Amino acid sequence: MKFDRIVAVRNNKTVYRSGDLCYKVFDDTFSKANILNEALNQARVEETGLKIPKLHEVGIIDGRWTIVYEFVEGKTLSQLISEDPENKSKYLDRLVDVQMQINSKTCPLLTKHTDKMKRKIAETDFDETTKYELNVRLESMPAHNKLLHGDLTPSNVIITPDDEAYIIDWSHATQGNASADAARTYLTFWLKGDIEGAEEYLDIFCKKSDTPKKYVQKWMSIVAASQSVKGSEKEAEFLKNWVNVAEYQ
Amino acid sequence: MDVNRETVDGVKKLEAAILRVRAAQKKFSAYTQKQVDDIFKAAATAANQARLPLAKLAVEETGMGVVEDKVIKNNYAAEHIYNAYRNVKTCGVIWEDKSYGTKKIAEPVGIIGAVIPTTNPTSTVIFKCLISLKTRNGIVISPHPRAKRSTVEAAKIILDAAVKAGAPEGIIEWIDAPSLEMTNLLMKEADLILATGGPGMVKAAYSSGKPAVGVGPGNTPAIIDESADVMLAVSSVIHSKTFDNGMICASEQSVIVHDKIYNKVREEFADRGCYFLKGDEIEKVRKTILINGALNAGIVGQKAKKIAELAKVNVPEGTKVLIGEVESVDVSEEFAHEKLSPVLAMYRASDIHDAFDKAERLIADGGYGHTSSIYLNTATAKDVLDEFTSRMKTCRILVNTPSSQGGIGDLYNFKLAPSLTLGCGSWGGNSVSENVGVKHLLNIKTVAERRENMLWFRAPEKVYIKKGCLPVALDELKTVMNKKKAFIVTDSFLYSHGCTKPITDKLDEMGIEHSVFFNVAPDPTLACAKEGAKQMAAFQPDCIIALGGGSAMDAGKIMWVLYEHPEADFMDMAMRFIDIRKRVYTFPKMGEKAYFVAIPTSAGTGSEVTPFAVITDEQSGVKYPLADYQLMPNMAIIDTDFHMTAPKGLTAASGIDAVSHALEAYASVMATDYTDGLAIKALQTIFKYLPRAYENGLTDVEAREKMANAATMAGMAFANAFLGVCHSMAHKLGAFHHIPHGVANALMLEEVLRYNSAEAPVKMGTFSQYAYPHTLRRYAEVAESLGLSGADDKEKLESLIKAINDLKTTVGIKPTIRDYVPDEKDFLDRLDAMVEQAFDDQCTGANPRYPLMSEIKQMYLNAYYGEHFTEPKMPKASVSDIQSDPHDYKRTYSKAKI
Repeated sequence: MKFDRIVAVRNNKTVYRSGDLCYKVFDDTFSKANILNEALNQARVEETGLKIPKLHEVGIIDGRWTIVYEFVEGKTLSQLISEDPENKSKYLDRLVDVQMQINSKTCPLLTKHTDKMKRKIAETDFDETTKYELNVRLESMPAHNKLLHGDLTPSNVIITPDDEAYIIDWSHATQGNASADAARTYLTFWLKGDIEGAEEYLDIFCKKSDTPKKYVQKWMSIVAASQSVKGSEKEAEFLKNWVNVAEYQ
Repeated sequence: MDVNRETVDGVKKLEAAILRVRAAQKKFSAYTQKQVDDIFKAAATAANQARLPLAKLAVEETGMGVVEDKVIKNNYAAEHIYNAYRNVKTCGVIWEDKSYGTKKIAEPVGIIGAVIPTTNPTSTVIFKCLISLKTRNGIVISPHPRAKRSTVEAAKIILDAAVKAGAPEGIIEWIDAPSLEMTNLLMKEADLILATGGPGMVKAAYSSGKPAVGVGPGNTPAIIDESADVMLAVSSVIHSKTFDNGMICASEQSVIVHDKIYNKVREEFADRGCYFLKGDEIEKVRKTILINGALNAGIVGQKAKKIAELAKVNVPEGTKVLIGEVESVDVSEEFAHEKLSPVLAMYRASDIHDAFDKAERLIADGGYGHTSSIYLNTATAKDVLDEFTSRMKTCRILVNTPSSQGGIGDLYNFKLAPSLTLGCGSWGGNSVSENVGVKHLLNIKTVAERRENMLWFRAPEKVYIKKGCLPVALDELKTVMNKKKAFIVTDSFLYSHGCTKPITDKLDEMGIEHSVFFNVAPDPTLACAKEGAKQMAAFQPDCIIALGGGSAMDAGKIMWVLYEHPEADFMDMAMRFIDIRKRVYTFPKMGEKAYFVAIPTSAGTGSEVTPFAVITDEQSGVKYPLADYQLMPNMAIIDTDFHMTAPKGLTAASGIDAVSHALEAYASVMATDYTDGLAIKALQTIFKYLPRAYENGLTDVEAREKMANAATMAGMAFANAFLGVCHSMAHKLGAFHHIPHGVANALMLEEVLRYNSAEAPVKMGTFSQYAYPHTLRRYAEVAESLGLSGADDKEKLESLIKAINDLKTTVGIKPTIRDYVPDEKDFLDRLDAMVEQAFDDQCTGANPRYPLMSEIKQMYLNAYYGEHFTEPKMPKASVSDIQSDPHDYKRTYSKAKI
């Protein structure tokens, strides 16, 4: 199959464009269960009415698992921020608006965020005491059922020429507590070294969603533990520091 | 000690362990107080003796705290808990009041699920095991993984000692390899959860669906007022803050110092070995103590020097506490949080109110319900303490006390229960607001035997009786009481016919000034009473004389109330009650200004000896029946001279009213031997003399005198036994259709007698003395006393009804309501309203049968059309297959009219 051009290249997947469609081609290291799950997530989220690229097809093309979906013309918020850093606040504001739109939806068939976190905690390398603390904390969190993107960064929001926002990459979508999604975004800013951006984002999120910062902060040790499973060595020390917190008594 | 005990390291093994504890606890629940106390003592002794090894083990394992301080905690948990509860009864009957027939019996709850924190592992185990043993409970311990070895060791030592002292094997169990799954299982399986630890664990406990005694986090502020002893305050805070490196949840997290002594306090802290962070050191420590708003686990229970090192701040060796002088009490300020370490925030308060504001905020953000502390001079700054006490939403408020040692109780104060589990009340999301102790681990059974209410007999202090006795009785007003001014209340008929003259003549003779109010109309209104009271206020009498029938006497009573207590509210006074001694409203004290004399001019109402008065609000038409012994006249004068000229209609209506008083008092659930005697005598008298008084009232002095006495006796009976549903219905017939009160009662009597005599009523009256429906027998007793015959009680009832109907006919009272209210449509249109108000009448409560509104309606309809009450359908006797026994009241089914 011939593609017009490469849209994005990630560690083990490449996104091509061909006409009005995008082809997300996975390499062999990807489990097909994960690929099908991503496609299923996307199909489910599509039904919520959110503006996301429409799923067209999942299958094997040229021997590779591929998800085919609608191509959305535009620039990601991340591109816009780098092209127009003066207006970063405006774009962060837009990011939070998009996030609140997502969080306003429910999608009952998606994986529960709590279950995913439990699994992730079990997969970490932390000692049993730390895992115990993390699990206790996780269990005490209010159980909500809001749609969560799971990786809502500026690079996953496309602004079209008509100024409409499309949200892409639903591989981590779950249902659960919106503060967890915010904590995850906050952590992503940190991991990219954009600490100022992280703080500004969190301030905007808490203000717009009327959420006390401490509720979001309570999730940080959990999302940090979950991130540690991905195993980037340079992040390990930093994430451990975030995880190693005690409960008040 | 069971050396073969299987390690509990998985869900299945925990399930088995819980079953073992349950079996052990079953045996334990039958132990005597003596056996339990021996076990309690042995366990406390063993824990006490292990105080040092357990402390060392806990510090070594958790890497937190101070061995020497943990020794104190372990010792405290053994010794002070033992001492506090050594003589407390926790088995069987723990309290009894024989005269009230009530006792309390303590029972264990079963299995306690004990969640143990890392901060105080061994001492918390000692504490929870001891209070569980003392209460005959089994206990299963869930350690924190970080402190599992020391936690389990403490539990083993106590179990070993307890079993040696006779406790069942396996009464204490524990999880050897803790996991959240097992903790959750324990919480689900335990009968009660004692959760100490962080909010996550406490929330899990409350979410488990089992009763939980959980506690919450603290964020104790300590205010140092300008009146405080600075040296005592500073050393106390340091002593508390360094205790086990600040790991007691009640420990001070901030000091808020009054501006006037701030520098002095600062110097004192510095002199005593605390380190004030300078410049960027504060920021460095901020970033060390909190990570993303959460407490850095690395600083918990560490020495100040080590925490400084983690923050890359150089402080002298031996530094006791790191102090950050900060301004914000907002959650965004890291120092404003709980730190579980020797790190302290210090605030300067411009004045004491600023200090309170800051403390309130710190508590709201992190320590709702836990502990607050203040240092001040309790003698000179009492107001400051009062305000502090009222403003802090904490369950422990400590004064001049190191809060770690003060909050756990019994070390620096001696009436705060010793405990290592401190309840934070609803503010902290807890079920307990005090220090947790043995009482929280017991189910208390209260055994309450039936007891009967104390009853009473109350009457005016003076009741004078005899034809012509008026002047003799009134003499006392001058000779004994030295009254100066008398206010007479009467109606215009009596006044215009000169009935007040004998009274005024006597008063003149005695030189008592008098004034007469003669505007009382039948069904006296509030407006009339107010007018009378106004005149009383102007005249300022020290004696009130009410002359007349019920209307004049009732109006006089109300005027008396308004005169003595113009502020009293009628709605409050008219509030319905179940028990006159327990009523919500307290009636104002009467008789402070004036002495009340009642002189009846007709034989019926009894108001001269009753604590009742009825007044009508002329605007709304609502009748307020007031009842309180404060309304009892002080003197009643029963002088037949006033009765001789009463017209026939009045004689008949009043006489029948007295019949209904006596009958209702006799059937009342509150009837006593005293009221029974009066009621029966009154009825005998009325049946004999009312026809004569009616026929020859002007001349038959004997009949008049007998009737006068009978009416007053009936009055005394119902003044104490109260009335019933007949009067409830009669009151509303009077109010809705203006039927004279006595006649209204007469119209309902037959229906009420039939209705009350049911032996399987839909609902019986609620009164402890009223054992079972027995009103048929009561009416039969009345019939017997009147010489009426019958083969059984039902026939006697019929004879009584016939006698009453004959009496009514003799004195010219017509048989049905319809005879008095010919407008049937009007009667039916307003019937439902009348029914509801009759049900809600104060008299309903004493009726032996508790009436449903539908039943009242039926009685009204029957009395209107001249029909008779029939019971709703009930199961037939044969259904219950019980042999009929006329003497067995429990078999009322078999006797019920079906």
